Amino acid sequence: MARTARIIQRNAILQVAILFACWLTGEALARLTGLPVPGSIIGLAIAIILLTSRRLSVVSMRKGANLFLADLLLFFVPAVLAVLEHRELFGLLGLKVLFVILTSTVLVMLATVFTVERAIRWSMNHHG
Amino acid sequence: MGETILHIIVWSVVTIGLYALVKNLYRRWPRWWLSPLGMTPVLIGLVVIAVQSSYASYIQGTHWLLTLLGPATVAFAIPLYEQRALIRRYWPVLLIGMLVGSATATLSSWALASIVGLNETLRLSLMPRSMSTPFAMIVSQDIGGAPDLTAVFVAITGIGGAVIGDVLLARSSYGSPMARGALFGMAAHGAGTAQAHRFGRTEGAIAGLVMVLVGVMNVLFLPLLFHLLG
Repeated sequence: MARTARIIQRNAILQVAILFACWLTGEALARLTGLPVPGSIIGLAIAIILLTSRRLSVVSMRKGANLFLADLLLFFVPAVLAVLEHRELFGLLGLKVLFVILTSTVLVMLATVFTVERAIRWSMNHHG
Repeated sequence: MGETILHIIVWSVVTIGLYALVKNLYRRWPRWWLSPLGMTPVLIGLVVIAVQSSYASYIQGTHWLLTLLGPATVAFAIPLYEQRALIRRYWPVLLIGMLVGSATATLSSWALASIVGLNETLRLSLMPRSMSTPFAMIVSQDIGGAPDLTAVFVAITGIGGAVIGDVLLARSSYGSPMARGALFGMAAHGAGTAQAHRFGRTEGAIAGLVMVLVGVMNVLFLPLLFHLLG
């Protein structure tokens, strides 16, 4: 058992296999139960449960997870290319979209930083 | 069949190759316009246009990469688990910030899109733009937007947000490292988290945490809220 654990901790490919297993189990559960939660999110929950219940140690998944997270961009670059199918966005319409995104981003930043700062000060005043 | 395999090989090599190239360039010259998030799709797009191919043939060859967003989402479990001490300590503060931030992102995107007269598909695709791509595409699909358009808007949000956040925070000393980290994670997801790490460790950790939590929270509740409001 300890030996298996050590082999998994060294082998990133086996760790990727664990992530795949969580994901596929999540997809299967989503389909079987008809829950309105995506399979990948159920898979994420399964992985967290395995970690917190100590059925799996974090070292037996970290390398595999980093393979995905370090290059997360690569996995959705193909989706971004869909803009080629939307030539209408290369023009005034695109500028409008850009205006919406950038203005809204500034609003989100201001709202978030002020809210969190206020909440921190409030909780410090009320809990010493 | 043979043609499909050729598409897969050619477009996968082009995608992975250009991604690796831009990533290395950006490591040497970290300029915002060289950000892999923006530059990689631009270069690939130019190749697709130059060889007079189409998106249909491109996506046929690279769809397997998109499928990997599934296990990549599961991989977020590890940073979440590793940050559990931060979550336990600050969850009420982070929760309030994420609720206000998400509401601002969703409502202001919708409202601004309506003001400039964008159609319904664009409005719905813009609403989940302020979260990490795997989560944003799921939400977009759920509420009736176009997930591929949402992926484009998320990328613009990430690049724009990282640049704007940098300018804002470099000129102001407002806010604790927590609040400043939350700003990046909430408003510019992955690109913002990378930027937050340059301001400090707490900023980076909080940004990454907020990014993942916001994604999960919105996937679970935004579609529900959306259907309730009809």
